[in-house]
Amino acid sequence: MAVLEVQDLVVGYGQFPVLHGINFVIEEGEVCVLLGLNGAGKTTTVSAIAGLLKPTSGEIRFHGKSLRRRSPSARVKDGLSLSPEGRRIFPRLTVSQNLRLGAWSKRRDTRQARQQLDLVFGYFPRLAERGNQMAGTLSGGEQQMLAVGRAVMSRPSLLMIDEASLGLSPTLARAVWEATAQIARDGTTVLMVEQNAGALPFADRALLMEKGTLVHTAVGDDIRNVNLREAYLGA
Amino acid sequence: MSTLGQELITAAVIGVLQGSIYAMVALGIVLVYRATGVFNFAQAEFGTTALFGAYTAHVVWGWGYAVSFGFGLVVGVVMGLLTEALVIHPLRKASRVTLLVGTAGVALTAIGLQFWKYNETLIMVMPRISDGFHQTKYGSPTDQQLITVAVLVAVTIALALFFRSPWGLAIQAAQQEPVAAELVGINVRSVSLLIWGIAALLGGLAGILAGPNTTFSAAFLSFGAGGALLPGFMAAVLAGMRSMSGAVAGGLVVGFVEQLGNLTLLVDVNGARAMMLFVFLLLVLLFKPSGLFVPRAVTA
Repeated sequence: MAVLEVQDLVVGYGQFPVLHGINFVIEEGEVCVLLGLNGAGKTTTVSAIAGLLKPTSGEIRFHGKSLRRRSPSARVKDGLSLSPEGRRIFPRLTVSQNLRLGAWSKRRDTRQARQQLDLVFGYFPRLAERGNQMAGTLSGGEQQMLAVGRAVMSRPSLLMIDEASLGLSPTLARAVWEATAQIARDGTTVLMVEQNAGALPFADRALLMEKGTLVHTAVGDDIRNVNLREAYLGA
Repeated sequence: MSTLGQELITAAVIGVLQGSIYAMVALGIVLVYRATGVFNFAQAEFGTTALFGAYTAHVVWGWGYAVSFGFGLVVGVVMGLLTEALVIHPLRKASRVTLLVGTAGVALTAIGLQFWKYNETLIMVMPRISDGFHQTKYGSPTDQQLITVAVLVAVTIALALFFRSPWGLAIQAAQQEPVAAELVGINVRSVSLLIWGIAALLGGLAGILAGPNTTFSAAFLSFGAGGALLPGFMAAVLAGMRSMSGAVAGGLVVGFVEQLGNLTLLVDVNGARAMMLFVFLLLVLLFKPSGLFVPRAVTA
């Protein structure tokens, strides 16, 4: 069954439309990557799904239910989680406090939150080592791990990660993608946003975006096709 | 001991007693500043309004003291929540200057209402919780003042504990990264109301506890006999507008510095107390503009 359905989504900032009516579906259990250059509308897409931006028109359905009237915090409760562009960790709180806040929407279930914390520390052992450190003092890669870890804390059924690789060395970026793949294997559907084609090997499916529209969907061998990268990313 | 030495100790004792009020006002100012980036002009008026509420309940309606005290606090908190709902939230996208003027408007509205209801009453006195006082070599603290210090200690501890609780963490998260706070499911609006409610509660405590020290009238805690708005603001500046513990320390220090104006040394200087305060603030702003009491990693 489809976890997420996006239908004729149009989003704009003021008078300027950024998304010109895009359509896609995310199926349960898959890892999907939304790939495109800067300004293609990737962040706008996930921001609209998370409820940070109000669509001009179109429909977003999560597990079959319309999200139109759901606030961002209500969507987290529903099982939708976004690790935002630029990480946006809480810099003057500790790593553990950041993670605890990730489970805010399910804070009444402390046992589950603790289990989830162990799980996150399993994905990112470095975060466990730095539990009591102020998050703002972490390195860029660690901050990215924290942002993803925090998003996992709410036990989402759909995890969206916006530009995990941004500003990271290739090795660190791969480490984050590998952890993401592990999170997916443990049963979470994942939507990654990337302009780095290095993420492709970790995805089951790629949606290519260009100037606010979806231009191509790649599955299976097509993903690893070098021509695809050349055609759409110039890489 | 020299006379000056004795006078200095007296200034410290009286300064702490008076500074407790400033510290409570400063705590509210810092709390709101961290949340909205705005200096809340209405902070002290939360206190005067709460005092008017307590006075009305106790003296005019004849309610018991404790109930009246609680009623006054409720009045103050309601005013704080209304300020958030009617001014701060609608203006959330406006510039800080607009917000600042907005809070000044709230203060003036409150002062207007106080005048309107009580202009006919010439002398208003809020009775003390207890009338006792303690004669010592270094001034004579009243029970009321000692209770105020005790309340400040309790409030400071309670706030420190609260900021380590889940809701306290949520407040800090919303202040540091509002978008991310929304993304983990924190309702940033509820957090905003919570902050204004707590700030108003602090203001209310300051107002109702300071009220009995003198007679009072409209604008009592802002510019009247209990004037704590400027000293509270100074204390907040000493705390770098960020640190809660710094606000408490700042309040007590400001109380002390103000009392230095009472030294025999300065007996011929008119307005020495205000002068001491402003000279002190000037020096701090010149040499340590980031504030005196600012822990490096502020968590509470």
